[in-house]
Amino acid sequence: MRLAVISDIHSNYEALQSVLAQIDLEGLEGILNLGDLVGYNASPNECLELMQERPMWHLAGNHDLALLEPERAQHFNIIAYQALMWARQQVRSHHLDFLRTLPLTRELEGCLACHGTPTSPDAYISYHFQGKRVLSYLAKDSPFRLCFFGHTHRRALWYRDVRGKVALQPISPGKIILDPDCHYLINPGSVGQPRDGNPEAAYAVFDARESSIHFKSVPYDVDKAQNRILAAGLPPFLADRLAEGI
Amino acid sequence: MASYYKEGVLKDGTRVILRPMVKEDREKLLDFFGRLEERELSFLRNDVRDPAVIDAWVSHINYQRVYPLLAEVEGRIVGDATLHMRKVGWKRHLGNVRVVVARDFQGRGLGTLLINEIVDLAGEFGLEKLVAEIHFQAPAALAVFKKAGFSVKAVFEDLVKDPAGRSSDLVVMVCDVHGREGRA
Repeated sequence: MRLAVISDIHSNYEALQSVLAQIDLEGLEGILNLGDLVGYNASPNECLELMQERPMWHLAGNHDLALLEPERAQHFNIIAYQALMWARQQVRSHHLDFLRTLPLTRELEGCLACHGTPTSPDAYISYHFQGKRVLSYLAKDSPFRLCFFGHTHRRALWYRDVRGKVALQPISPGKIILDPDCHYLINPGSVGQPRDGNPEAAYAVFDARESSIHFKSVPYDVDKAQNRILAAGLPPFLADRLAEGI
Repeated sequence: MASYYKEGVLKDGTRVILRPMVKEDREKLLDFFGRLEERELSFLRNDVRDPAVIDAWVSHINYQRVYPLLAEVEGRIVGDATLHMRKVGWKRHLGNVRVVVARDFQGRGLGTLLINEIVDLAGEFGLEKLVAEIHFQAPAALAVFKKAGFSVKAVFEDLVKDPAGRSSDLVVMVCDVHGREGRA
């Protein structure tokens, strides 16, 4: 199966539309959403509707959970908190029912999928010690060789080789064939709020048959997404950052 | 009034509104800084009792250059933390943090609350490290920054002076923004 892996849409309808259109063009056979459909940007209902129009595998992210349980948002910074509180006022009740059904982890095509880490949607895999911790768990305490994760909004490919060495593999522009002897943590980046300096909407294509990953991105109408944020009265920084990919 | 805010709770249960500074805060800021003691003023970089200084701040707010986070209780400003950023250059991944807390709110957890919020905001702004320059004669400030995850990276002996001309050390503390577990 050729699977599109997407994450951190964060209510960016324009970015989501572009990514889904590209996925359709590529004829991919399934979509795995690693969570955080809501928060930050200004089109939560539009994104929730679009994502429920077609079959796909979903996970809950920390912003999705905070939408359902606002006390979780108390730990967000003031900008993320304000955007989440705004989304709570906007999201229609039947979408809350959908969000309540989302699991924290999922197995698919022999891979594990989570939002932050396999044990927490709030925890990050940004640093070596964090990647090493999760890869050690995969290697020693789970049957999985691959784990998809999101949450950081940055593309990443962590690996652990047979000797136990853990490192980040550079994200090359083409398809990356995964070593059958290694364990991997794969982050496709963010659809709706990329933070790795590339403002395009990011996603990845996983080919289970040949065991490869291809990191991709597509341009979208950033101006329109920014205008929605400003019109909603959300912090202007949330609009500015989209153009810079920060 | 700022269009967005968040509520925090101090150690004694006092509820505090955290929000960015807006231009309408002029009088409240003058009141806040007017209540500081001479010794506290000596640690600040600006003559904050001069209305012209406050006028310049509130009329040139640029949240992408300086993010001023205020703590307010019952309509009165009781704390001010600022995050100073650069868009370009070799320090563009760094932010500088400055914090002032009203005397009657010191020792109640407000400094820690403000710094924690600034560290979380720094992550949101894409910064990697935060830097705080602290006068060695301000042990409470050193303790608060340490509690918030900062560690001492350098001590410059006899580098700074107080208003009486006495030399003292300057302590530089740094916090790795992503090293802390993020929360949003």
